[in-house]
Formats: sequence, C-alpha cells, structure tokens
Amino acid sequence: MPSIGVLNDNAPKPIKVVLNWGRRYSLWVFNFGLACCAIEFIAASMARHDFIRLGVIPFAPGPRQADLMVVSGTVSDKMAAAIRRLYDQMPEPKYVISFGSCANSGGPYWDSYCVTKGVDTLIPVDVYVPGCPPRPEALLQGIIRLQEKIASETLSTKAMQAKYAGSRSAAAGEVTRPLLAKPASAGSQMTVSQTGGEQL
Amino acid sequence: MIETPCRDVPLQEWAAALAAARSEGFDFFDWLTAVDAMDAEESPGFDLVCHLMNSSTGQLRTGGLDRVLIRTRVPLGESAASATGLWPGAAWHERETNEMFGVDFDGFDDGTGQGLRPLLLPNGFDGTPLRKSFVLAARASKAWPGAKEPGEGAPSHAGAPADKPEKPGRRKITAPGVPDITWGPR
Repeated sequence: MPSIGVLNDNAPKPIKVVLNWGRRYSLWVFNFGLACCAIEFIAASMARHDFIRLGVIPFAPGPRQADLMVVSGTVSDKMAAAIRRLYDQMPEPKYVISFGSCANSGGPYWDSYCVTKGVDTLIPVDVYVPGCPPRPEALLQGIIRLQEKIASETLSTKAMQAKYAGSRSAAAGEVTRPLLAKPASAGSQMTVSQTGGEQL
Repeated sequence: MIETPCRDVPLQEWAAALAAARSEGFDFFDWLTAVDAMDAEESPGFDLVCHLMNSSTGQLRTGGLDRVLIRTRVPLGESAASATGLWPGAAWHERETNEMFGVDFDGFDDGTGQGLRPLLLPNGFDGTPLRKSFVLAARASKAWPGAKEPGEGAPSHAGAPADKPEKPGRRKITAPGVPDITWGPR
C-alpha cells in the first residue's frame, strides 16, 4: 500500500509547502508515446520549448523512477493492459497528463472497435490537454497547471490510498465489450455501456 | 499507373492457383486480405485477395516488378485453403483475415501448432470487426454528432422501418457499422 511515511504525514504546514515545492519542480516524466502526439511531446522536450526549464526531466529510466506519465496518442484496447501495468509500477505520488484528443476521449476514433474511449477509463488523469495534436505550448500549459495542482495539494497517506485504491490491475478484457446484439424490442432504450473500463 | 492484373478463381482452385502463380515466377508474397462482399447480388461472401510479385523480372530499382492479384469468393461459413505451405509468411495475413472477417483457412500451419488465433485484437474480443454486419457499440449508443445531410433534421439513422417507408427522395447516407432504425432510437 502506498504511504508517505510518518514524518511526512505529521510535518508542519510550512514544511509541507517546501516538500510540495520540491515535488512540483522535479517531475521525472515517463512518455507513454503511442501516436503522432508523441512527436509533439518530443518537440516540447527539445531546445525550442524545453520543458526541462519547468523542472520536467524527460529521461526517467523506467516507470519505477518516474513521477509523471504523459499518455500521448491513441490508446487501443490491446495497449490498455500495458498502460495500467506501467502506471501501477510508478511510485506514489504519481501524476498523469492525458495529451491529445485520442487519449482524452478517443478523439477521431470515438466509434472505433479497438480504441479505448479515453485513458481515464483506465487510470486517474490529473490534467487533460486538448488538441489534435496539441502544440508543444499546450503541453507546457498543462505542465504548469499540474504544478499548480501539486503546489495546492496536501498529501496524506490516507488520501493517497483512497486515490490510488491500493494496488489494482486491469486485464484487457476489462476494456473490451461483448459482441453487441440487436435489442430485443424495437424502440427500447439502449443500455449499452461503451467500455467495460468504466467499472474500474 | 498500370492496373495490376487480377485472376478470379473458384474457391476449390484457390491453392492450385497460388501454386501455379508461384511456379510462374510470382514467388514474392506481398499481402493477403479479404473484402466483405456479403451484399453482392449473386453468390455473396468474402473476396479473398492475394497480391504476389515476380522478384526475378523487372527492375527492382524502378519498382517495375510484375504483379498479380489472385481473388476468390468464399461464401459465409466455408473455408479456404491455407497459403502457409507455399509462403510461411502468409501466416500473419491469414490470422488477421481470420480475426477480422471470420474466414477460416484449412491446413493453416505457422510452425507453432497453435492454429488460427487472434493476431492484433485484444484477448477476449468478441466478433469480426471488419465485416459490414459488425455494429459499432459507440454508434449504437450515440448518433453522429455532426450534420451529414443537406437540410438535416432527418432521423439520425440509416433507412426507414419496413412498416413505414420513407417518401422517395434523396438516398440517405448509410455506412457499415451504423445500426439501422430497428435498433431503436439514439
């Protein structure tokens, strides 16, 4: 179970402010690049936009060393299990930016048979960046929003365990749906859930 | 742009046609897929298409390789002969055609002994999504958010119920995967 430790839990408020300040300016980022949005993410990490000046460090060796995951691109049902698995491997406190229309809601693939309708059906998302693809400036804005959120939060073991719900794991079957059949009576209200992932 | 010659063969001669093309020199297997022709007037089924190239003639540099398409019609429920005996690389294409269109291949062998199994779809996926009869769940629960007809206001479905035919007029846009009105309102 995630815990921030006794000292952290009982620290006086000024110390917590300092800890949040440290946390918001050293975000080791893990780029879950799945499609063309990943190119914009890379552009944001390069010299012109350079998000390292905001304290976002793009060279986390793996999810176990990362604080922030940026899901940039089209999440497919086949990839869903891997996203959940790598997210579960990140140490708490952890943050997620959903970058681009596909990761936000399925985007242009809203009616696809194989695209997950938003990465938030799998993992909790902190900041959504809209666009198809968003410009690198939009990612910078999203990072600043996330940093504001980190600065204003009060971490506690109890709240953190409530947010991450301990250790969860998702199988691919949880975001796929059974074959859709014609409803029994014509004109009846459809009761089809779009993705089983909502039950997570 | 030269049109690729296409040979239509009966289903029983599928394997023989592939073997014949191979012995003619069309020894490079490019791709194999299917086309849903279940709405065809005569002999509905799935068109199995295989694209082969001749690697010994023509110039590789100019892209002028001889090509041929081999096509057959597989009726629903019947299976075609596998090409994995001729080109082991056909295994992925046949697995994909099998999961997307539900076409079976007799004698499929990719060396693992596991037979035809899904290649790209996630575990537990139900249905054959590239068939025109496959209804998209999102389309069944939500109408197309934009306007698609001049003078919209028409119902957000394809076609009209049998007992209440629509007035003759402009043909409504229909698309595979979009459920018709008998599925109920959206």
